[in-house]
Amino acid sequence: MSSGDWTDPRPMSPHLQVWKPHLTMAASITQRITGVALYFGTFLITAWVFALAMPAKADGAPAECYTVIESIISSVFGQILLVLWAAAVLFHLANGIRHLLWDGPHLGFEPKTASAWSAFNYIFAIVGAAAIWFAAAYI
Amino acid sequence: MVQLTLPRNSKLVTGKTWPKPEGAAKLKKFKIYRYSPEEGGQPRWDTFWVDLTKCGPMVLDVLIYIKNNVDPSLAFRRSCREGVCGSCAMNIGGNNTIACTKGWDEVAGNTITIAPLPHLPVVRDLVPDLTNFYAQHAYVQPFLKTDTPEPEKEWKQSEDQRNELNGLYECILCASCSTSCPSYWWNGDKYLGPAALLQAYRWLIDSRDEATGERLDDLEDPFKLYRCHTIMNCAQVCPKGLNPAKAIAKIKHMMVERVS
Ligand code: SF4
Ligand code: FES
Repeated sequence: MSSGDWTDPRPMSPHLQVWKPHLTMAASITQRITGVALYFGTFLITAWVFALAMPAKADGAPAECYTVIESIISSVFGQILLVLWAAAVLFHLANGIRHLLWDGPHLGFEPKTASAWSAFNYIFAIVGAAAIWFAAAYI
Repeated sequence: MVQLTLPRNSKLVTGKTWPKPEGAAKLKKFKIYRYSPEEGGQPRWDTFWVDLTKCGPMVLDVLIYIKNNVDPSLAFRRSCREGVCGSCAMNIGGNNTIACTKGWDEVAGNTITIAPLPHLPVVRDLVPDLTNFYAQHAYVQPFLKTDTPEPEKEWKQSEDQRNELNGLYECILCASCSTSCPSYWWNGDKYLGPAALLQAYRWLIDSRDEATGERLDDLEDPFKLYRCHTIMNCAQVCPKGLNPAKAIAKIKHMMVERVS
C-alpha cells in the first residue's frame, strides 16, 4: 500500500513522522545513499582515468581534458567531493562486509551487536577518510 | 512505493488538551493519536495528563487510566495484559511494542507519544486494520504439512530438532516487527514482512514438515522474501526478543542452497 495512491477513506497511521530510528536503520539508509553516490562517483573517477590515459600534447603539456579534470579535482569543491567519496567508499566497504557476515554465517544479528557495529562503520568511514586526506595532503 | 509523507487525509492536527486530574501528586504528559470514523476529519494529537501515583506501571495501565478517568471513548485493543496475546501492540515513544509489558518509566522524554502501529489504515484511535497482516500469515500456511501416512501416536522429534524452533514459536503475532519495517511500509502489499517470514521459517525448519520445497517455491519472487534488506528494525523492536531478520537470512540461505 503506497501513500501516493492512498484511496482508503480512513487515515494512514504515521510512520516516519513518529519513528525513532535505531543506528541499524540509519546504517541501512546510509548504505543505500553511499551506494548511489559511489555509482556516480565512479563516472568521475572513470573520467579522470580516461583523461590520464590521453596522449600528451606535442610540447609535453598534459592533454586538454586532463587539465580540465585536474582543475575540478583540485578546487575546493572537488576536494570536498573527494573526501566525501572516500568516506562513502569506506562506509560501503565496512557495511558491505557486514552484509556478507549477515547473509553467510548469520553473524551479528543480535540488536545490540548490530547497533554497535553500525556505529563502528560510521567511525571507520569518517576516521578513514580523514586519514586518507591527511596522507594525501602531507605525505 | 516510497512516499515519505502522509496522504492528505492522514495529516495530523493538534487536538484537544484534556484537563489535568485534580490534586495529582505526580503528573506525566501523554500525546495520543485520535481518529473517529463517525466524526471523520483529520486525525489529531490529544494531550492527556496522568497521575502516575494512581496508575499501574505499564503503558497499558496509562491507557486504562485515561479510559476510566478522563475520556471513555479512547479506543485500543488489549486482552491478556501479560504479553501473550499480541493485541496491544502500538507505537510508544517512537518504537513499536506491546503496551502491557512496556513500563512508562522505560520511555524517555517528558512527553510520551502513543500512536497506532505505523503505515496502516486506522479503524479508530489506536486500533489499526490488520487484515493484510493476517492474510500474509495465512499465505505462509502456518501448520504442519505432510505426505507420509500419519504415525499411530505423535510425529516424533528429537530434542535437538525441537530446539530449532526456539526463538520462533514464541511469536505472538503482535505485528510490531512488520509495521516497523520501512520495506513493509513501502511494499506491504507485495513483501510478506518479518512476522509472516519468521513463521514461514518456523515451518521450513520443522523436522516433521514435508513441504519444504513447496514452501520455498511460495516465497520465490522479487518481493515476498527479498524485499528484506536487513534494516533490522524488526529485531530491534520485537517485544518477545525474537529475531525475524535472522530467520529471514536463514530462508535466503535455504533458497541458495537448494539450487547449488
Ligand atoms: S516476531 Fe516479535 S514483533 Fe514480530 S509479530 Fe512476532 S512477537 Fe510480534
Ligand atoms: S494485552 Fe495481550 S499482549 Fe498486551
